[in-house]
Amino acid sequence: MGGECEVLSGSKDTMAAEKFFQYRLYLRQRPVMLALLSGFTLLFILGVTGLSRAYQAQREALGNRWFARGVADLNAKRFDAAVTEFRAALLYSRDDYNYQLNLAEALIGVHQTGQASAYLLNLWDREPENGQVNLELARIAAQKGQTADAVRYYHNAVYAAWPPDQETQRREARLELIQLLLRTNAKTQAQAELIALAENVGDDPAQQARIGDLFVRAADYEHALAAYRLSLKYDRHNSAALTGAGYAAFELGQYPVAESYLQMALSENPNDTQAEERLKITQMVVRMDPFRNQISSAERNRIVVDAFATAGERLSQCPVPKSANAAAAGSPPVSPANLSDQWAPLKPQVTERELRRDPDLGQTAMDLVFRIERQTSVVCGMPTGADLALLLIAKEHEGT
Amino acid sequence: MDLESKPESEVLEENGDAAHTAAAMRWQSSRDLFRLVFREDRFFLVLSVFIGVLSGLAVVCFRYAIDWARLYLLGTGAVLTPARLLLAPSVAGLVIAVLVIHFFPQTRGSGVNQTKAALFIYNGYIPFRTAIGKFITSALAIGSGHSLGPEDPSLQIGACLASVLGRKMRLSRDRMRLIAPVGAAAGLAAAFNAPISAVLFVIEEVIGRWTAGILGSVVLSAVSSVVVMRWFLGSESMFRIPAVELKRPSELVAYAVLGMVGGLASVIFSSGIAAFRPLCKALPKWTQYFQPAIAGLLIGVIAMLGAPQVMGAGYEYIDQAMHGQFTWEFLAMLAGLKIVATLLSFVSGTPGGMFAPTLFIGAMLGAAVGGVQHLVLPHLTGSTATYALVGMGVLFAGFLRAPMTSVFMVLEVSGNYSIIVPVIVANTVAYVISRGLQPIPIFDLLTRQDGLDLPSMEEQREEDVLRVEDAMQPVEGPVLDAGQTLEKALTEVDHTESEHLLVRMSPSGWSTLTRQQLVDMAAQGKGASNLGSLLPLRHVPYLHPDHPLEMALRYVDRWPLVPVVSRADFRKLEGVVSQRYVLERYREFGEG
Repeated sequence: MGGECEVLSGSKDTMAAEKFFQYRLYLRQRPVMLALLSGFTLLFILGVTGLSRAYQAQREALGNRWFARGVADLNAKRFDAAVTEFRAALLYSRDDYNYQLNLAEALIGVHQTGQASAYLLNLWDREPENGQVNLELARIAAQKGQTADAVRYYHNAVYAAWPPDQETQRREARLELIQLLLRTNAKTQAQAELIALAENVGDDPAQQARIGDLFVRAADYEHALAAYRLSLKYDRHNSAALTGAGYAAFELGQYPVAESYLQMALSENPNDTQAEERLKITQMVVRMDPFRNQISSAERNRIVVDAFATAGERLSQCPVPKSANAAAAGSPPVSPANLSDQWAPLKPQVTERELRRDPDLGQTAMDLVFRIERQTSVVCGMPTGADLALLLIAKEHEGT
Repeated sequence: MDLESKPESEVLEENGDAAHTAAAMRWQSSRDLFRLVFREDRFFLVLSVFIGVLSGLAVVCFRYAIDWARLYLLGTGAVLTPARLLLAPSVAGLVIAVLVIHFFPQTRGSGVNQTKAALFIYNGYIPFRTAIGKFITSALAIGSGHSLGPEDPSLQIGACLASVLGRKMRLSRDRMRLIAPVGAAAGLAAAFNAPISAVLFVIEEVIGRWTAGILGSVVLSAVSSVVVMRWFLGSESMFRIPAVELKRPSELVAYAVLGMVGGLASVIFSSGIAAFRPLCKALPKWTQYFQPAIAGLLIGVIAMLGAPQVMGAGYEYIDQAMHGQFTWEFLAMLAGLKIVATLLSFVSGTPGGMFAPTLFIGAMLGAAVGGVQHLVLPHLTGSTATYALVGMGVLFAGFLRAPMTSVFMVLEVSGNYSIIVPVIVANTVAYVISRGLQPIPIFDLLTRQDGLDLPSMEEQREEDVLRVEDAMQPVEGPVLDAGQTLEKALTEVDHTESEHLLVRMSPSGWSTLTRQQLVDMAAQGKGASNLGSLLPLRHVPYLHPDHPLEMALRYVDRWPLVPVVSRADFRKLEGVVSQRYVLERYREFGEG
């Protein structure tokens, strides 16, 4: 019985060994191996997917953490720290747009414009319509004196996408562009930009006054006066706008209007010495102009006599040589004779009585006065006081 | 007899037979298909895809491991604290030394030569432990700031995984030998995100020859690994490439200068390794525990003194250099310091690759040369990025001595073919200078220092090949024509002493016979017969002058004379070769 059991168990072992051998053989067949390999690969992919998610999440968290610190430092104008923190953030998300943009801003803060420019150009390649990037690039180009590039980027910024406060950002970009154009003396371009800007500003008195100032700097006095008037429509006591309007009207030769604005400006701000000075000149111009309306003939003749005497005095202080006499800017080539030679014979005739007898004499005297003031201003520089007033009157009546 | 006229039982029986035959045919065709799929060459291709996928996954994990090691050892910020700068690489160096000495001795070095050794010495065998060891030690080394890169370890990990799969799949010995390079290409492609360069490098540096049998597998594995890598890590290249261009042809002079500078830097770099590696290996064994730690400490000191850019692979700094964020003086200093740091790491036996440091040094040198030229000739010089990119190729050609890979690597990384001319000019100059001043390529040098004798790929590429024309001799005696009679042939050979005669067969082909055979046939009364009808049908094989001389060896033992004919006209005889001529030529060649 025992022997039988041993035989049975022996045969069982052999069968099991055989089965195991067959099983191993089966496993070693290529299709089975390939199936097992596929299963293993799938498991590996799943494992790496899990790992990848954990990795990405960690990197994102680290990137955000450093970015938040960078933004805080950037806002507090601690640019050095901000640069380091944004760089750290970029270690975790190399291509993040915001990280790069903020790093560029921080780099501008530490005056590393070369590096900032490299980042910004990279961002520009990705999003050429981004307003902030264009604005920063424009600022860098303006700093480097590359005006053409700066203007191009400013224009891009003006027409770029600017979420969330689109209009304000565009306006600010255009304002910066205008400042650049004024700095580079491109007044015509600046005027065009200012006209577009004035349309966008609306009725905001402060903005209109600011635009008026810029128009003045661009030598576009008509638009400047219009802007100041618009500003004053909503705030009649804005002394800066009043002074600006007075100045613009003065430049336009609208002296009574200028006088009126400057007087109002001084009443609003009596300490405004510039306005006071300008008012004095304006009042002189108004008072000394013999061609103005609503004055009597006697008054006109008296003004002519005074003007003639003033011009004579100016001529004695600033003798004009013959060559200068001929070459003086704007002077009509009427006579080769010296101005003194013309003034001296006319002097005895220019009296109130003679002027009453010969109304054309007034015109002749004033022509000579204007020529004297113009030519002495070329030879001896801009006059002051009554001579300046006469020069301005000359410009008004004869054109510049 | 039609079916309807048969009895029912007969019809059923016939139907059953038909079904059985159809089933048997189906079974046969499935078996054929099965055999077709699992035939070794096709199975190898399928396996190559799996190797690519698994290598890609392994490389992704390797990249994660390096990044995690960096985070935990060096910190999360961009500016590292002095304590971490000094401690991380040195303490990691100690751990690495213990692991390498006691657990993973095969992981020392870059991994390229180990893969070559598997191909040429160990029949494709690489123990799995090597992959584990390489993964851990290299991740630790690179993550802690040792100046090494992840590409060569990835190559070795890929080769190792391929070897393990090949063994499990019980591939033949021939296939096993080839499987390591297949895995190597996959590993390198995933690490580099550049499949073409990886394939070229493996063929140029590991296998050494183009064979159709392996090319398909190498390409398949490289492509599948890159697909997997991009799935997980994204498809961005390692560097953000700005616009690159060649401004005008005269700028090629500047690129030639870059090639010269790069060639000299390559020589300095490889001479440093050649000089210091044996010295470090010759030091007492106990010092090997401290060598990586001391190297790490010195690298930490360099970083602390103001050049933390030299730590690790440094890809982010290559990116910054390309975008003009460093001055040329600093770039030149970084190139020099990186050579020092990489020498320290590599000669101390720390596991890690040399690809990334080579690219780093090249990019810094290139950008520095570009910067200088910007100062000297501002109107001539293109962007810094162009110089940095070309510089990477220059060092690759000069230091790693893989000229073809170096060109394609730059093109593949930049995705821009417009700089191919500067790349070729600069790389060629660097390669020529490096070869002239340092005759032994770096990989061969390392192999010899390790006491192995692996085939030198550069020597193989440039080896003189003997051709048939080198052993070819003019025909002695007349060339007979198959159309002439035996008698005429006898009169023609009457005045010659050559024993073996060539016969031009009609319409083509050649045959030989001896003078004695001619005499015997004439004695048999066949004098009036055409020579062609008397000769055996089997023709003598012929050769062309440009065939390798090895090819002649296949025939010269069976045929006393082998005709060498023109490729344009197979009936035009250029000469003949015989066993004696061939052996004499080989003897002369061997004697130099």
